[in-house]
Amino acid sequence: MTPQTLAVAASTISASKIYGSGEDAVYALNDVSVAFYEGQFTAIMGPSGSGKSTLMHCIAGLDELTKGSAIIDGVDLSTMKDKGLTELRREKIGFVFQSFNLVPTLTANENIRLPLMLGNDKGDEAWIQNVINTVHLQDRLTHRPSELSGGQQQRVAVARALASKPRIIFADEPTGNLDSTTGAEILSFMRKAVDELGQTIVMVTHDPVAAAYADRIIFLADGKVVNEMTEPTAAKVLDLMKTLGN
Amino acid sequence: MFRIALKGIVGRKARLILTSLAVILGTSFLAGTSVFSDTLTRTFDNLFSDVFKNVDAYVRSSQVIEADFGLEERQRISIDLVSVVENVPGVRDASPDVQAFARIIGKDGKPLGSDGQGPPTFGSIGEEFAGALWSVAEGKWATASNEVVIDEASAKAGKYVVGDTVKVVAQSGSREFTLVGIASYGDVRSPGGATFALFDSATASEFLTKPGFIDAILVSGDGSVSDTKLAAAIQAALPTTAKTETLTGAQITLETQDQIGSALDFFGILLQTFSFIALGVGCFVIYNVFSISAAQRQRENALLRAIGASRKQVTRAMLIESVAVGLVGSTIGLVAGIGLSKGLSALLKALNIDIPSGGLVVKQDTIFSTIVIGLVVTVLSAILPARRAGKVPPLAAMRATALEIAEPGRKRLYGGFLSIALGVAIISAVVAGANNSYLGFGILFVFIGTIVLGPIIARPVALFLGRPAARFRGITGVMARQNSARNPKRTSRTASPVLIGVALVTAVTALAASIKGQINDVFTEQFKGDYAVTTNNQFTGGLSPSLALDLNKLPEVDKASGIGLITVKLNNNGQYFTTIDPGTVEGVFDLGLINAKYSDLTPNSIFLAESYSLRKNLPIGSNVTITLGDATQRELTVRGLYKFDELAGNFVVNRAMIANSAVVNFDIGVYILAKNGVPDGEVQAALDKAVKKYGQGELLSKDEYIDKQSGQVNQLLGLIYGLLMLSIIIAFVGIIITLLLSVFERQRELALLRAVGMTRSQVRTTVRWESVITSLLGAVLGIILGIGLGWVIVFALKDQGLTSFKLPVVPTIVIMVMSFIVGLFAAIYPAWRATRVNILDALNTN
Ligand SMILES: Nc1ncnc2c1ncn2[C@@H]1O[C@H](COP(=O)(O)OP(=O)(O)OP(=O)(O)O)[C@@H](O)[C@H]1O
Ligand SMILES: [Mg+2]
Repeated sequence: MTPQTLAVAASTISASKIYGSGEDAVYALNDVSVAFYEGQFTAIMGPSGSGKSTLMHCIAGLDELTKGSAIIDGVDLSTMKDKGLTELRREKIGFVFQSFNLVPTLTANENIRLPLMLGNDKGDEAWIQNVINTVHLQDRLTHRPSELSGGQQQRVAVARALASKPRIIFADEPTGNLDSTTGAEILSFMRKAVDELGQTIVMVTHDPVAAAYADRIIFLADGKVVNEMTEPTAAKVLDLMKTLGN
Repeated sequence: MFRIALKGIVGRKARLILTSLAVILGTSFLAGTSVFSDTLTRTFDNLFSDVFKNVDAYVRSSQVIEADFGLEERQRISIDLVSVVENVPGVRDASPDVQAFARIIGKDGKPLGSDGQGPPTFGSIGEEFAGALWSVAEGKWATASNEVVIDEASAKAGKYVVGDTVKVVAQSGSREFTLVGIASYGDVRSPGGATFALFDSATASEFLTKPGFIDAILVSGDGSVSDTKLAAAIQAALPTTAKTETLTGAQITLETQDQIGSALDFFGILLQTFSFIALGVGCFVIYNVFSISAAQRQRENALLRAIGASRKQVTRAMLIESVAVGLVGSTIGLVAGIGLSKGLSALLKALNIDIPSGGLVVKQDTIFSTIVIGLVVTVLSAILPARRAGKVPPLAAMRATALEIAEPGRKRLYGGFLSIALGVAIISAVVAGANNSYLGFGILFVFIGTIVLGPIIARPVALFLGRPAARFRGITGVMARQNSARNPKRTSRTASPVLIGVALVTAVTALAASIKGQINDVFTEQFKGDYAVTTNNQFTGGLSPSLALDLNKLPEVDKASGIGLITVKLNNNGQYFTTIDPGTVEGVFDLGLINAKYSDLTPNSIFLAESYSLRKNLPIGSNVTITLGDATQRELTVRGLYKFDELAGNFVVNRAMIANSAVVNFDIGVYILAKNGVPDGEVQAALDKAVKKYGQGELLSKDEYIDKQSGQVNQLLGLIYGLLMLSIIIAFVGIIITLLLSVFERQRELALLRAVGMTRSQVRTTVRWESVITSLLGAVLGIILGIGLGWVIVFALKDQGLTSFKLPVVPTIVIMVMSFIVGLFAAIYPAWRATRVNILDALNTN
């Protein structure tokens, strides 16, 4: 598949995020223009401090750019107020964080439906059941997070991200806290969500094996896009990282 | 470790402030009330040392009857004694003194000053005297029987100027005078807000008391002998038949100060009691804050333990923090308390109670005890949380503690139930006949048990109370409900202050409702008339006895009968006797006579309450000897017994008995039966006109009258509500503090919720409903306990004549609604803080 034939789900144009000013200014993002395509699984990689999380937060409406613009579903986020951004996150974006993904007082089922319930939306029940089945959570629905394993918690988080059929899902090191088998399980669920359910996913990761699940990888360094790779394998990624490292 | 403790304090300023807040509030009420009552005492001390500042000797009757409520009735002396005193060597000047009831009537026909509730209304003598404190500010002193001088404040209030005609009501009736002067009292317009009508001595004696009699003689010496010698010389010069006693100026000052002092002491004790209750409630808040902060620091403490700190060291660090909080909090509390007492004084001034300013009295005792009590209370409240902090296993450092699931222990369950069972057993024993004095213990055990069980009850009750919120508020309601139940210990510690406050309010309300109900029943049973004329001025004066006679003559009236109250000495004890007019009383006031007629009550007879007669073995036909206020003795024969003693007391005599004596004789009420067939409007108009002529007394219909009687309970109720507000405020602040700490603790969770699409207003709703549920939890348990407590108190007062318990239904609903509102208000700031959580910061911190 070539990028030209795919619709853009989210993008940035000359996005910069600057902390501080003058001589102390830190460019977390420096003139970044990227696009994420619908129905694709995109991974973002790069050394620690390269701006991966910042990029994700800015596109997801959790943080503001200093310069440039972030666009989701054709809307420039900088034109929106807190309320609009909140609604956008609720309806058009799904999140999976590295840890502390779930509300401890709610059951797995309630956590999955949380964004829908916040919007007073019943959602598409058949879809939700499908999602729950896909991530194998049928018999865990009434449990609270403290009664679930780390892997199960992340699966609930993925299900939550999918439940409201968002335009795009952002995952920041979703497998960072998991052992490799459980991590692989989560990643294949995400892969399935893209292939079988037609979802769009953007994932930040440090792990070449994880990145290999993606359709496309964007490499960041010092706040800039430095490389891109399609149809990656773990070996190809490792090779590229070695060259970038030098 | 000390360094670590200090670092902990400085590092978390917000927590220090929140913890201190509870200490500050508790101690400021304590300091504020004691500074206020000390200031009040000194103000009155000064006031009364001023009154007799230039008086060297004070002559008065030695005949006195002391009765209940600390009231005494002292006999008056002859005005002729003044000239005897004037001729005693060493006397420069002697002045008669009268201080009696007199009411100045305003130009609009309404009496000045408040009727009975506020400062008193006096009539007195205003003459040139060396020791006088009154001075003429305008015009001159009254010198003729048709002249009067009034105090500046009254002149202003009544818009009177010199030359006006002023109507004054006194014991002998009402009369019009020409205003010849306006007087001021030292540098004050009127002492303590009282109103004064000042006459020359002859007029005062005749108009205010009984012709020829005065209250006392004020003597100013020429300085040739000591006050003690002067007093002795005067006493020696007076005939023993005059039955006088002569005090020095210092003695009378001290006596007056003591009298006022004991009244103020009572007030002070009341204030202190309630501020101690508030402080006790504050202990819960302090305890709660320390517990929460211990829980929030669990990982930090576990880390300290893991790297080698001992249990003791961790505990000690926390105790050191509590000492700092206690010291800082109570010092600020002291300062705030002084400010508070200043506010109270300003409030009095706003209520027109003009007390001479003398600055606030901040005793060393107050400073010392506030700080010591504040410190001790804080450290005591911190001991348990500190010990718990020390017990943290080093392993806890490795665990995440997002949700503190503490299963309430079995010990707690058994302990709580045991305590409640014990309390209930004691109360049942008392109900079954054991000594009333054990009731307090019973109540205490039930309270302790309920609070011990709190964490166990909290979860199910909070979940139950949260049901409507969860149902109608969607996911935010569901989360609020879960949040209020997620940490039952914390929720119950937060609700406990509310519980105590609400329980006390409910108990007092139930007691008041029962008393009011009883008053209502009693009056409905015994008051048979259609109208009543009453006055609130029952102790400094009352209705003129001639009012009843006048009303009786009206063609619209069937009967009007006056009821009075006199103080009488019986077996050397002061007693109140009810005086009635046997000729008119039948059909307006029912005593429930047993085998007797009202006409049996001749001036030489007495009716006794049946119970009293049995108790004292005084059957019909026996004789009792009494001493009247004028020191004369009467022998009365018991001619009848009656059942209804709630209003009449134990003794009823014929008013004719005192008709020609020097005994002060007022009516406290006139009961009226309208003539059959006369329309209500006409009767009322005629009565109104007749009563107005007296410038005193309030005409009420039967229903109004009965309502008013039970309404008097409301005043006391208001005062107690006001004092309980202190506790409620602390409970309120307790909720705020806990919510703030919870919001702080749940920052990550809030950030997550915000990230996945919770709007700010939904965040607010969640915090708000959690607050409401917590507040209602305290209120529901408090109301249940309070109703029980009220019932128990009513039961304990059975012997005092309180027979039926009334459930305060409407007030209970009001309390629930108020608790709801308190919950809403307490949530405002914490909810706002919750919306300000920075999503990224919270997500990034681990
Ligand atoms: N609030 C802030 N103030 C100042 N600098 C910040 C702030 N937040 C991030 N930065 C800086 O911005 C840069 C990018 O940070 P970012 O969190 O996006 O990196 P990252 O690629 O996600 O790294 P990691 O792989 O470690 O998560 C870093 O140099 C970081 O120090
Ligand atoms: Mg990152």
